[in-house]
Amino acid sequence: MTGAALDLPDFRAHVRDWCRTHIPDGWRRAQTGVPDEEFVAFQKEWFQELRRAGFAVPHWPAEWGGGMPVARQAVLYQELAAHDAPRLVLAFVSIHHAASTLLAAGTREQRERHLPAILDGEIWVQGFSEPDAGSDLAALRTTARREGGSYVVNGQKVWASGAAHADWCLLLARTDPDAPKRRGISYFLMDMRTPGVDVRPIRQATGESHFCEIFLDDAVIPAGCRIGPENDGWRVAQETLGAERGMTMLELAERLGNGGFRWLVELCGRPGPGGARPVDDARVQDRLAVLETELTGLRALCAELVENDSPGPADASIVKLYYSELLQRMTDFGAEVAGLAAHAELRKPLSSGWESGAWVLDFIGSWEWTIPGGSSEIQRSIIGERGLGLPREPKGSR
Amino acid sequence: MTADLTGFHEELRVLARGLLGKAASGAAPDWRSIARSGWLGLEAPEPLDGADATFAEVAVVLREAGRAAARGPYPAVAALGVGALGLLEPSPGRDRLFRETVAGAAVPVTALEGEAVEGVPFRLERTGRGLLLHGTAAFVPGAPVADRLLLPALGPDGTPVVVEAGPDAPGLEVTEQPVVDETRRFGLVTARGVEAGPDAVWRFRGDPEASVRRLHERAAIAVACDSLGLSEAMLEATVAYAGVREQFGRAIGSFQAVKHACADMLVQVKVSGKLVEGAVRGQVDGGRGTGVAASMAKSHACAAAVEVAGKAMQLHGGMGYTWESGIHVYLKRAVLNRSLSGSPAAHRRRLAGRYPAFGLGAGERLS
Repeated sequence: MTGAALDLPDFRAHVRDWCRTHIPDGWRRAQTGVPDEEFVAFQKEWFQELRRAGFAVPHWPAEWGGGMPVARQAVLYQELAAHDAPRLVLAFVSIHHAASTLLAAGTREQRERHLPAILDGEIWVQGFSEPDAGSDLAALRTTARREGGSYVVNGQKVWASGAAHADWCLLLARTDPDAPKRRGISYFLMDMRTPGVDVRPIRQATGESHFCEIFLDDAVIPAGCRIGPENDGWRVAQETLGAERGMTMLELAERLGNGGFRWLVELCGRPGPGGARPVDDARVQDRLAVLETELTGLRALCAELVENDSPGPADASIVKLYYSELLQRMTDFGAEVAGLAAHAELRKPLSSGWESGAWVLDFIGSWEWTIPGGSSEIQRSIIGERGLGLPREPKGSR
Repeated sequence: MTADLTGFHEELRVLARGLLGKAASGAAPDWRSIARSGWLGLEAPEPLDGADATFAEVAVVLREAGRAAARGPYPAVAALGVGALGLLEPSPGRDRLFRETVAGAAVPVTALEGEAVEGVPFRLERTGRGLLLHGTAAFVPGAPVADRLLLPALGPDGTPVVVEAGPDAPGLEVTEQPVVDETRRFGLVTARGVEAGPDAVWRFRGDPEASVRRLHERAAIAVACDSLGLSEAMLEATVAYAGVREQFGRAIGSFQAVKHACADMLVQVKVSGKLVEGAVRGQVDGGRGTGVAASMAKSHACAAAVEVAGKAMQLHGGMGYTWESGIHVYLKRAVLNRSLSGSPAAHRRRLAGRYPAFGLGAGERLS
């Protein structure tokens, strides 16, 4: 029963019931400090649980197992957030970026090969960034040389989140070294078991190692795994990168504004070392009220982004910028209020949102939002140029 | 919002921008033109010559008034004059004043304390001479130009009512309080034993306390609309200027320091816009949480407007600091708006009043 025939309030009630009976009790504790294999197994089980309810890929077209109207998706994510459901972390790239790329630019064969497999648990990683191509992604230098019916790939990718668990990779590589930098890039679907693909985890600021480097040494990709025309990869990537941003941002904003803010208020209501409750301090109250107000604005911006059929050219950037900096402000405040006790929390629960309640680690981890996916500086330039029509930097400085 | 209303709001916006922007600098738009435009009767009931529209339509005009930094008492009359009349029980006196207001023949202003977020500034005392009104309200918007005053008062039994009086009633005094912001006029309203005959004491239709809260919410949201509109005007002016003003051989808007500041202004304006929209919707739909939405909109939009107008002055450089540029007009209005109808801190105190009692529970929402 997927609730397809219900009207919106009944659908909400249906999702609430489902949440109460299906979200595993105590999953946060069970997901704190566990080895990677247990995280992966838990994520895959939870994905199948959502899939059985029709909640795993609601944003996909109906013929592939989705087809949920946008208003319902918003309700679904509001309720999942309100009930503190585990978040789909491992499948994130698979169900969003991989799927939107396959749907936008894939052949029928590529879609049939991968979309059902993703539903069965195929995990994808994004191989875009390189050591010398971060914010300036189009400067990427990994090469794909055509040899008969295949491409031979050499280079290095970095910041590939979850590459250690991935089955497939969305790969951007240069197929025409002589073309202007955005015109010589092609987009590939790469099997991570391909000989010559070597994955090495990078330890990040929080101490975790979700990010990986991917070394590519004469890795051979069949030409049938190129997605879109040769040298047209940049355009495909641009079109599909932001495609799913609205609903994922709505989900994250709901989590931050609902569970995240509730934990923060709860934290402020607990007596500190001196016996006083932070929430009785007028300055703490004021900070909380500022955050609640900003969260309300963020949630409304996200709702507008998903409901709007023709969003403005900078709307997604505004939401990304505001969310990531609000996450940072909020976790910063949480760490400040929680005090030294929060420093003794050395592990945060896996499978949670970006605000897990382990405030110090959450705060350190918030830079994982302000730096990748277009840093806050890049977003501000996009907002200034595309949103407000301000002049671009003169040639040579970009 | 239905598609029909979106179209209507757009039409209203265009008309308001034309009329409010046309007024000669330093002059208030002509009151007869405002009456002819129908803006005074938007929320009035149809039998009293009104349009039976809602606060959402009034909010469109209020935002344009902020954008134009318009002079004149329209925001005071629409938000609180008409607002109070709509919350009162029908009576011959109230209905007559409603009609005259819609026609532009009367300019009624409600005397709430300018900086307050709650409360009733006046009280009625029962004496041998009948009911006498006492109390003061400072910084009442529009009071110096009002020809009718609606004075919220606690009746002898403690129930809030509204006392209607002319500004020249014996015992009533309206003293103009000049302010730095030259686009608005405020007055100190003092009542010392003003006789309130039975025809002059008007009762609220619904729960009187709830009606008073509603008036304060309307006042706060009206100011938030004004600050949103003036923020939009300042952002547009700044972006236009940064696109043409050249230094070091290039438009200053191409420098990241300037561009990113403009981006931050836009984000602030967008967030304010959503909060104001939510607060206005709350007034139209009613229900719980209207006060929370009003306090969020007021505290955010009015604080953000000061930042936006301040940044506008900064990015206009030396020109921005001149009297001639007019940026100061907006900055002063923004700073005044921040204090009017409750400071951001006062509104956040109201929001925070909900936190200590708040417990944790799945699906629970603060509202």
